[in-house]
Amino acid sequence: MKPALILACLTSVLALASAQQPAAPTAQPLPAVKPATDGKVWGALVYATNDAKGFDGANEQAPADFADIPKRLGKVFPYQRFEIIGQHLQDVFREYESWVVPTKDLFLKVDSKGPAEGGGMNLHLQFWRDQQVLVKTDAVLKEGSPLFISGPKWREGQLLFVLVLQKSR
Amino acid sequence: MKTPSEDHDLIRWLDGEMTDVERASFTARMDTDPMLKSEVEMMQRMSADLRTHLPAEMPVPYADFFNSQIQIRIAQEEPYPRSETSRASWQQWFRLPTLLTATAAVVIGGIMIMQKEAPTGNSLVHSIYVPNPAVHARAFHSQEAQATVLMLEGVEAMPADRKIVGYHIKRSETDQEVATTTLYGERGEVVAIVAKDARNQPRLLSANPRG
Repeated sequence: MKPALILACLTSVLALASAQQPAAPTAQPLPAVKPATDGKVWGALVYATNDAKGFDGANEQAPADFADIPKRLGKVFPYQRFEIIGQHLQDVFREYESWVVPTKDLFLKVDSKGPAEGGGMNLHLQFWRDQQVLVKTDAVLKEGSPLFISGPKWREGQLLFVLVLQKSR
Repeated sequence: MKTPSEDHDLIRWLDGEMTDVERASFTARMDTDPMLKSEVEMMQRMSADLRTHLPAEMPVPYADFFNSQIQIRIAQEEPYPRSETSRASWQQWFRLPTLLTATAAVVIGGIMIMQKEAPTGNSLVHSIYVPNPAVHARAFHSQEAQATVLMLEGVEAMPADRKIVGYHIKRSETDQEVATTTLYGERGEVVAIVAKDARNQPRLLSANPRG
């Protein structure tokens, strides 16, 4: 057999074999679809007390943007100390509910109702204590104007929930 | 082609709302109009099927909030100052049994307060609904704190021996297919998962056994 013919036969056999062999599976990453958001909120659960010992749990610090929150709380609630027990920075989803959960005990459900006239966001809020909703409210949250919710009394003081709309960046 | 009044008669006949005279007249019409008769029979079959397959009562999701929203809309619709004409239309609205039931549910079930005005640039509370009648709520703006305050009075105190563990959540991911939200901490670790039970109430599953 002529070499050219042998080469042609080999090439055909190899081509046929490679065509019949199933292609190695390649991992196709799923498209990462990030839900649309209307903004971002920061929520915190604060223990307000006059007890000098304060709270013996985690000592959280507010982000720099909201560092004045304890001082502002002091202008409304009659306590000397305001300690952040937990905090949560959360995207507000446009089409889905969002949860702001600084602690397991007290948390907030947030539903966006779209941008507010003159800035800020229209929100429907539900303040939950375990399986019980304490209050439902429709509110407009504006940048630089926090919402304080007074929660239950606890030990020598009271639990307060803070919700702030983060400034657009 | 049937006129709207004929449709109306048919529905009234099916619902048993006709007077004796009207019922006799309608029955006489059925006897002479085969199309009307077949339509009545079809409607009767559909009605029976629906009664068989649907439960007599179904829970309304978020019934309390639904009721409060009706109250808000009523309040927003009410013109000021109220004239005699507007009062008459008010009464017509309240003749609707559904609305009356919803209003009664709101009165019994909770308290709703509306905050009307707030200075521009400040957060604002439009409405408040408190399911527990023992809890009183009010909202105001504190000029000194530059904050809006939602004050709840009468909330049952948290037991003193309850250990409250704080989280530090940096981000979350939501999975709508299984209706859960996963909460992540500062180091990207899973801190907790929010799910919902059959009654649409949140269930918080903490990754930390202490929490």
